[in-house]
Amino acid sequence: MPTIAVDAMGGDLAPDEVVKGVAQISLTTDIETVLVGDERRIQAVLEGVSYNPEHIAILHARDAIGMAEEPREAVKRKDASLLVAVRAVADGRADAVVSAGNTGACVLACAKHFRLLRGIRRAALASVFPRGREHPGQDRLALMLDVGATVRCEADELVQFAIMGNAYARRVSKVSSPAIGLLNMGSEEMKGGEALAEAHRRLRELPSINFVGNVEGNELVRGKADVIVCEGLLGNVTLKLFEGISEVLYDLTSAASERRVAWRVGLLLLARGIERLRALTDYTQYGGSPILGFEHLLIKCHGRSAAHAIGNAVKVAAKAVRDRVPAEIADTLATAR
Amino acid sequence: MRLRRPRTASAPPAAPPVLCRWDLDKTYLRSEFDTLRSLLRTAFEKAEDKVDVPGVAELIKGLKAAGERHARDTRVVFVSASPPQIGSAIRKKLALDGVPYDGIVFKDQLAHIRRGKLRNLREHVGFKLAELLRGRVDAPVEARELLFGDDVGVQRVDERVGFPVVAGRLGPERLAPVLRRVHVDPRLADEVLALAPRAVAGDVVVRIFINLERRSPPAAFRLFGPRVVPTFNYFQTAVVLAADGYVDPEDVARVARVLIDGAGYTGRRLANSLDDLVRRGHLSVAAADAMARPLAAVSILTPALTPPSRWRRALLAVRRRVGRSGRRSEQTALSPLAGPLDYDAILDRLAPTAV
Repeated sequence: MPTIAVDAMGGDLAPDEVVKGVAQISLTTDIETVLVGDERRIQAVLEGVSYNPEHIAILHARDAIGMAEEPREAVKRKDASLLVAVRAVADGRADAVVSAGNTGACVLACAKHFRLLRGIRRAALASVFPRGREHPGQDRLALMLDVGATVRCEADELVQFAIMGNAYARRVSKVSSPAIGLLNMGSEEMKGGEALAEAHRRLRELPSINFVGNVEGNELVRGKADVIVCEGLLGNVTLKLFEGISEVLYDLTSAASERRVAWRVGLLLLARGIERLRALTDYTQYGGSPILGFEHLLIKCHGRSAAHAIGNAVKVAAKAVRDRVPAEIADTLATAR
Repeated sequence: MRLRRPRTASAPPAAPPVLCRWDLDKTYLRSEFDTLRSLLRTAFEKAEDKVDVPGVAELIKGLKAAGERHARDTRVVFVSASPPQIGSAIRKKLALDGVPYDGIVFKDQLAHIRRGKLRNLREHVGFKLAELLRGRVDAPVEARELLFGDDVGVQRVDERVGFPVVAGRLGPERLAPVLRRVHVDPRLADEVLALAPRAVAGDVVVRIFINLERRSPPAAFRLFGPRVVPTFNYFQTAVVLAADGYVDPEDVARVARVLIDGAGYTGRRLANSLDDLVRRGHLSVAAADAMARPLAAVSILTPALTPPSRWRRALLAVRRRVGRSGRRSEQTALSPLAGPLDYDAILDRLAPTAV
């Protein structure tokens, strides 16, 4: 059974929600977890909830990185829980990391202690988002990468992101031949500038990849592609846009229901649909986003992740370890070369 | 059969006698009462079909064996709220498990039915209290008690009220309102009140182990003081008993072996369990280390975390020497008798809505 190191002090709701999430997982699965952080604070939370101690170890770390801290400075603090967790994986004491902490620090901590897979130039932060289905059996979630680890990318890096996303979707989402799309401003292969055009050409020629061409903004939420490849800046903006729309939609429905009785009745009739939409856009259900490209995995959860989301992230991390995602990426890369 | 004071005097034992009182359901047996169907199935279950909690039989054997090794009279008595009608299946099950015991008491449910007191069928506080007190009265004065219960349903109530009474901490004058508050049958309440003055004899209850079958948060038991030890498995119970000197490391090893061979445990799960006891203050670091060494030597225990690399171990050693990182070694176990208990708070917790 894989061992997952969990940064207990990372995130807006840490350590309480992180510890509770791990406690929940300890009751329902056999996943071994190592809670990394202030031992006394972790234990205080743990004792107040139901848990199974047989699956939980605690690794003391006396420092923690704040959400607003400058990542480059933050990762210099060796005793920070995130760094201790990442080192535990690098040392072979655990198999993957889960953190809801500072995203930049997560990426830099991985870069500092994990080795990049052979042939990989840059790591990518992936994220899942809900989308429509084009055919029965299609996963209701698509994967997008990069969403912030590498701000600007060259064609080479975009091609590698496609290979990494392909491996992750095959192993974790169990899509046998994931449709890979390149996020662009038009469907024509020459659109978007030199890097995107070059990436398009090379992806089309890769036999190990099911490349479906460019994907435009309005096609993102349709089922055209299972994996969307883009540079970090674009990916991050897109991801935050999704989050914003979801929040605005919820605020609008709440406000509307308060204004007129007729609207309230209408919303009541639509309640099931709205609830489904809300559930679909609820990041807590997805179990975090992987940082791909290293020999080990770090699953990055949303900063506001509550216990349920942390638990899902631990499950995703365990699944990715069991399914040997980094090895799959390395194999696909070797074939592509 | 009840435990009786020995009739004939023998050579004085080297250590005070030990009374181990066990609840049966959910503490020894994995009984299911959640639905009427499972309740009926449990009632008519054959001995061969009954399932014991992993490690419990081995622990009882260990307690008895350690008693013999150290010339300490150790007696095991079961107190069950099940009716005597299922007694033969229970006795057969205990025989199948090879568990040595000195007595077993059942609750006469038929008597309640005859009296038309159907509510008493589910009310176990009075019954358990009376039996615990009776056992105390019948036992040698110097006997120490180890009590074993669980966290399931109504049984928690009698353990929380009954055990402090037996421990001599809640005087009879305070008992009557408590019994009313938790709706004990008046006839049983009178019996309890008659027994209590004869039974109260100081701190005779050394430990009260709660088998966390329902995984109740351990913090819920803090109110009852450090003598109450909630445990997640019988390895943890065995380790605390070993630290108290009631079993030996070899007995702990046997319990651990049963868990590994028969219940899917791993050395790592056991190591995590050991660390959990230390963090909760029920075991000192020194005692945990003393226990871990022989178990690791026979490959029963594997470290919860693979040791860090050589250079990191060296660094940690240097830090410890200069006193920067000594938190683990500083941890000691809480004394079971440490500090007074807030009985009013305990009573409030027991029946907050009762009059």
